[in-house]
Amino acid sequence: MASHSQVLVEEKSSVRILTLNRPKQLNALSFQMISRLLQLFLAYEEDPSVKLVILKGQGRAFCAGGDVSAVVRDIGQGNWRLGAKFFADEYMLNYVMATYTKPQVSILNGIVMGGGAGVSVHGPFRIATQNTVFAMPETVLGLFPDVGASYFLSRLPGFFGEYVGLTGARLDGADMLACGLATHYLPSTRLTALEAELCRVDSSDPTVVSAILDAYTQNPHLKQQSAYHRLDVIDRCFSGRTVEEIIAALEREASDDWISTTIRALKKASPASLKISLRSIREGRLQGVGQCLSREYRMVCHVLKGDISKDFVEGCRAILIDKDKNPKWEPWRLEEMKDRMVEQYFKRVEEEEDLKLPARKNLPALAMAKL
Amino acid sequence: MSENRALQRAHILANHILRSPPLPSSLSLAREVCLQYSPPELNESYGFDVKEMRRLLDGHNTEDRDWLYGLMMQSNLFNRKERGGKIFVSPDYNQTMEQQREITMKRIWYLLEKGVYRGWLTDSGPEAELKKLALLEVCGIYDHSLSIKLGVHFFLWGNAVKFFGTKRHHEKWLKNTEDYVVKGCFAMTELGHGSNVRGIETVTTYDPRTGEFVINTPCESAQKYWIGGAAKHATHTIVFSQLNINGTNQGVHAFIAQIRDEDGNICPNIRVADCGHKIGLNGVDNGRIWFDNLRIPRENLLNSVADVSPDGEYVSAIKDPDQRFGAFMAPLTSGRVTIASSAIYSAKVGLAIALRYSLSRRAFSVKANGPEVLLLDYPSHQRRLLPLLAKTYAMSFAANDLKMIYVKRTPETNKAIHVVSSGLKAVLTWHNMHTLQECREAVGGQGVKTENLVGQLKGEFDVQTTFEGDNNVLMQQVSKALFAEYVSCKKRNKPFRGLGLEHMNSSRPVLPTQLSSSTLRCSQFQKNVFCLRERDLLERFTSEVAQLQGRGESRESSFLVNHELAEDLGKAFTEKAILQTILDAEAKLPAGSMKDVLGLVRSMYALISIEEDPSFLRYGYLSRDNVGDVRREVSKLCGELRPHALALVSSFGIPDAFLGPIAFNWVEANAWSSV
Repeated sequence: MASHSQVLVEEKSSVRILTLNRPKQLNALSFQMISRLLQLFLAYEEDPSVKLVILKGQGRAFCAGGDVSAVVRDIGQGNWRLGAKFFADEYMLNYVMATYTKPQVSILNGIVMGGGAGVSVHGPFRIATQNTVFAMPETVLGLFPDVGASYFLSRLPGFFGEYVGLTGARLDGADMLACGLATHYLPSTRLTALEAELCRVDSSDPTVVSAILDAYTQNPHLKQQSAYHRLDVIDRCFSGRTVEEIIAALEREASDDWISTTIRALKKASPASLKISLRSIREGRLQGVGQCLSREYRMVCHVLKGDISKDFVEGCRAILIDKDKNPKWEPWRLEEMKDRMVEQYFKRVEEEEDLKLPARKNLPALAMAKL
Repeated sequence: MSENRALQRAHILANHILRSPPLPSSLSLAREVCLQYSPPELNESYGFDVKEMRRLLDGHNTEDRDWLYGLMMQSNLFNRKERGGKIFVSPDYNQTMEQQREITMKRIWYLLEKGVYRGWLTDSGPEAELKKLALLEVCGIYDHSLSIKLGVHFFLWGNAVKFFGTKRHHEKWLKNTEDYVVKGCFAMTELGHGSNVRGIETVTTYDPRTGEFVINTPCESAQKYWIGGAAKHATHTIVFSQLNINGTNQGVHAFIAQIRDEDGNICPNIRVADCGHKIGLNGVDNGRIWFDNLRIPRENLLNSVADVSPDGEYVSAIKDPDQRFGAFMAPLTSGRVTIASSAIYSAKVGLAIALRYSLSRRAFSVKANGPEVLLLDYPSHQRRLLPLLAKTYAMSFAANDLKMIYVKRTPETNKAIHVVSSGLKAVLTWHNMHTLQECREAVGGQGVKTENLVGQLKGEFDVQTTFEGDNNVLMQQVSKALFAEYVSCKKRNKPFRGLGLEHMNSSRPVLPTQLSSSTLRCSQFQKNVFCLRERDLLERFTSEVAQLQGRGESRESSFLVNHELAEDLGKAFTEKAILQTILDAEAKLPAGSMKDVLGLVRSMYALISIEEDPSFLRYGYLSRDNVGDVRREVSKLCGELRPHALALVSSFGIPDAFLGPIAFNWVEANAWSSV
């Protein structure tokens, strides 16, 4: 396989190692990468000689998300449906991973954001290291935590998922392990040895893979300032029925650095994004991963089409393109984002088909719920 | 086929006896491929937008409902467990009565802390009331004990303070009730008197020297009985008692009395005992109370209707004790409204579980060595469950309608609310019990495991047919009210208005003699049949009663003699009211797949109701041929609803976690690895 390829493939007996290879862009998922990954995953599922898939990233990132700058370009050229196609394929990949019959091991040795979480968290094994930085930063981009995040965030302990999804807070490897976003943790120096041992696996039995990983895993210390120590406050505040209630509850708490950072993060984010994100996570808690992805697809179509709010284009402009970090959200205030506007996001976009997920036969029982 | 089988069987038996080597593998009894669970979603498709249907069925506050479902799922107090790769939350019914009561109280504290009850008593208006009703329904889907314990505190104690009390009571109690500073209960029923509240024997007198009321339990039959919250947790109670002023009995009145101090110790002059273990609802601490010369301040009389002055004079704006009693009881309708709608949600849980199971469980092959058949592909299984599904849909709309007229109530609508809520409470709770029993049988042995809910729910919801008015008594009240309406309209020679009796003003509908499929499914025909039955039974009932009265019998005893007609009439009235609500819901929908499916559901509701009520034949509204046609059409409708079964139960909007494990991967849930 050519080294300039965006996804590198190594074949090691019954194991396939896929490496996301766009290090300059922090391995942000391009349309090509998504298509290639989807193609590979589907082929490996049919191929009896493949037993295990390892996914990792080249350089200092695992994957910093979907390549939204391309999507924003499409929108600028009046072609939001092209962007929708990107998301449809990405969600399809997420779904295939979430319902995959062979174990996927994701090595999260670096940045994992947005779409990066989507290609890893749905798999059964997620390995964090001291280099891991995780975040779902969509609400400051005028988007919402998608890629099935309404499924996996809503299944984190208590209301930690609402906290992570709304504030875009950064987690380290230890946080990820503690809350369940990662299943294992080891120092990055041990990765080579682990990989070598995994390559000798000749079985798709998750307990075999799990036994190997368990032997390498360590119990890291949660940092003193870890948000996970604040789970009681998070449960108290982020269980609120609305974004307004959540902010009001945070403001009632005794102020400290963490509280004020959290409030600031919420005030910086797009009001439209916050409201649809909260609603999405709340609905996701009650739905299967397929239903979550279908709903998110409806939502993302509205986001791209900009029929209710154009915050996505504005957010990308301010953060990714002009980098002035000064987005002009519209609506500007939470109370201006009315319930019926939120409601709109969850309806099908006219003349746009719902996401068609492939029928997945013979699902192993645990394929549906990994968290 | 049978010959082949018999031969095979004989062979096996012979081997058994002769202990010859096992049969060659082709004849082996062991299956080569084990049974595998296949989720119904893989093979069934949704013919309409399930989310939209859910919105229509829930009727209001879907987002608030989802929020509360989430709150319960995210807490360890709600007994989360994993089965077959899925998370379920439902109470551990294997806990002792004491444990169930304690955990129920803890769940209440948790939801309090999350602000679930905010505004339940201090906010008013239809919007606030609907939100409260929606959240209470969700609590009831998790556990009936939880919703009953909340219902007693907010709807009985809280609403009694709110509606029977005046400003001084509101200021003192409402906010404290909402914050659970006080825990209320509601002492109305006695050992000797239940539905007949006017017969209760507790007596209260007034002592003008100290300005206090003195409450007494004069005999054992006057002990307060079944008082939810009394055995363990309640600090205060509403006491219903006869009020005796200077030797004159002024009838039943309500008072506030403290029964426990802040530390939970029982107050002096109060005796409390437990009602003991029950067939369900063991998370509710039902108790008994005796009052021994309990003295309470004069201000504790809930005085919205009548008061006693400091020097002991009885004053009331309503002079007639009958009317006074009626005015007093009117606000209690909320209990019947919530019971009716919670019964329907319980039926939804049962049906969602039984139908999902019937779409993944197979039994028997039709052809030798053929694949086993999915339970719901048997016409008999369809006939058992799909009519109940259609009824549940229709009654769901009826319950929503009742909630709407309740939250928008005015003094003019009180009578209608009383009549409709009585009929619906009875019919919907009976329907729930029948549905749960059928669902229990339909899932076979799995239904007797408490974790699969359907069996357990029978015990949990059984009491609904009794509390807040025995169902049979309520149905008689419906007929009596219709009688009164009929007589008053005829006497004043005025057209019928209200209670849905307007159809009596036009001529008697004429039904066609031949009933084709399209006639049977025509909404106008269905309405006509239901109206004809109601009208005829009402006329028969009134004329029978009038005849007896003409022979010198009292009105009451004439009613009693005609109890069969009264029962038929009550049913006819309620079923027609239900049909009207699903027709209204259907009419509001734009043309499309959802409207079409709802049309099938409505026809099923109408025709199964006809099929099940012997009145149509007994009084000759339909011929023998006609009812044969109805039966055939029901069977056809079963086949047409079959493809929508999964979509119809998915539209109930009950999250997976709140159903039982057999609704999902029951193979994995029972695998050795999960032991």
